[in-house]
Amino acid sequence: MQFLVKNYIMIDEHEIPTGSRLYFGKSAKLKREIEAVSSEFLGEAGFEEIVTPFFSYHQHQSLNEKEIIRFSDEQNNIVSLRADSTLDVVRLMTKRLGRSTKQNKWFYIQPVFRYPNTEINQIGAEFIGNNDLSSSIGICEKVFTKFDLNPLVHISNIKIPKIIAEELNLSLDIFEKAELQKILSLEIDWLEKLACLQRPEDIDKVIEIVPQNIKVELKKMKSLYEKLNYKNVHFSPLYYVNMRYYDELFFRFIDKNCTLAKGGSYESEGLESTGFGLYTDAFIETLIKK
Amino acid sequence: MLTVALPKGRIAEETLAIFEKIFGKSFLFDDRKLILEVGEFRFLLVRNQDVPAYVLHQSADIGVVGLDVLEEKDEDLVRLLDLGIGKCKVCVGMRDDEELNYNSPDIKIATKMVNITQNYFSKKAMAVDVIKLYGSIELAPLVGLADAIVDIVETGTTMKQNGLKVVETIMESSAHLIANKNSFIEKKEEIISLYRKISEEIKKK
Repeated sequence: MQFLVKNYIMIDEHEIPTGSRLYFGKSAKLKREIEAVSSEFLGEAGFEEIVTPFFSYHQHQSLNEKEIIRFSDEQNNIVSLRADSTLDVVRLMTKRLGRSTKQNKWFYIQPVFRYPNTEINQIGAEFIGNNDLSSSIGICEKVFTKFDLNPLVHISNIKIPKIIAEELNLSLDIFEKAELQKILSLEIDWLEKLACLQRPEDIDKVIEIVPQNIKVELKKMKSLYEKLNYKNVHFSPLYYVNMRYYDELFFRFIDKNCTLAKGGSYESEGLESTGFGLYTDAFIETLIKK
Repeated sequence: MLTVALPKGRIAEETLAIFEKIFGKSFLFDDRKLILEVGEFRFLLVRNQDVPAYVLHQSADIGVVGLDVLEEKDEDLVRLLDLGIGKCKVCVGMRDDEELNYNSPDIKIATKMVNITQNYFSKKAMAVDVIKLYGSIELAPLVGLADAIVDIVETGTTMKQNGLKVVETIMESSAHLIANKNSFIEKKEEIISLYRKISEEIKKK
């Protein structure tokens, strides 16, 4: 059976929209296992679970409106489908539950939705009032190790490209697109060393020659690395992505072309916090291809 | 091992010639073969417009592609180096006896490069009707399919031979070395080492 829709595009009755997720058999089992293992480790680390509403009034205030699936409530207020969990979790914790609980570690296993019809399954955790990112990396590492994965984690500091862009009057686009030629053409020795820095053991040589304000930020990267047991680590101090809230130390676990997890430190509602998200869909894809 | 996506044709030949000069050995595809392995490099021969897709999905770590294709595709890729080869321009072309009438409420533009065209005319606050074509773009204004075209111009000969002229230049393009974002993080030392060698080689020209 087919249905006739706008512009005469025929949709088969078994068809699902592009961007939606369907798991069955092996992949559904893996999804369940990933979520079970993650919630076990998060529980052991003192996190409690929260399930937030699918609908939100506030997402369009903080996220790019173009990414949000929006509609109106009965009062004609804009309502959106959850496009990001962090913002709602932090608001709920600090504004509503903050007075009644001292719990500041929360995790959630719930999808987010992006316009027009993208579903992203994820496991997220927020550690409100904590600025030590090593615990987030540690939990991700435990989950990956449980599934015999050893992805590369790259550590960055979003403040570094921002400082350089401001001081050298450069566009942040140069860092976002990693335009190496433009960066190296400035012929600044410390900038070149920063651009080329990869191995954690080389960071001291770079710390010695960078300006003081960048030195401080590089030391934070070094200090984070020193707290980790995980050693499959690269540094990418000039990495820049315009992220919604991560504004300082940032990490991303990558396996080939997949981002398996990412997280960072941020400030929300006046509190220094850390958080991360495990990307369940990419995780399943990686395990199936293994 | 670095996998390199090259666009079939002259740019692939010129890029491989640069590799030959740097590494002092032959980099030559066997007849009709699409994969070439030499030392620490694996080259893939793909269609020009497909280079960003191969690199984006990490079937290749790096690639060589025209800036015009990069702007048209607008993918999340690392832009490493302008190789200074394959130079051309993206231009608006019209019949010799016509001029672009910005007062007209309805302008039709035929092109392969829909996004570059839309962006260019949007910035001029013009809502043009873009007709996507896959080849023989010069034909469109001659048979009344479009008022103007947006196309690649190298010497301008093809336009002239078809009774067309360049009325505006949208952008200048040349082949760029690009990289996959994850490959650039994972294999940064290898990629930067190659970047430096290529950069030194093209400076000699």
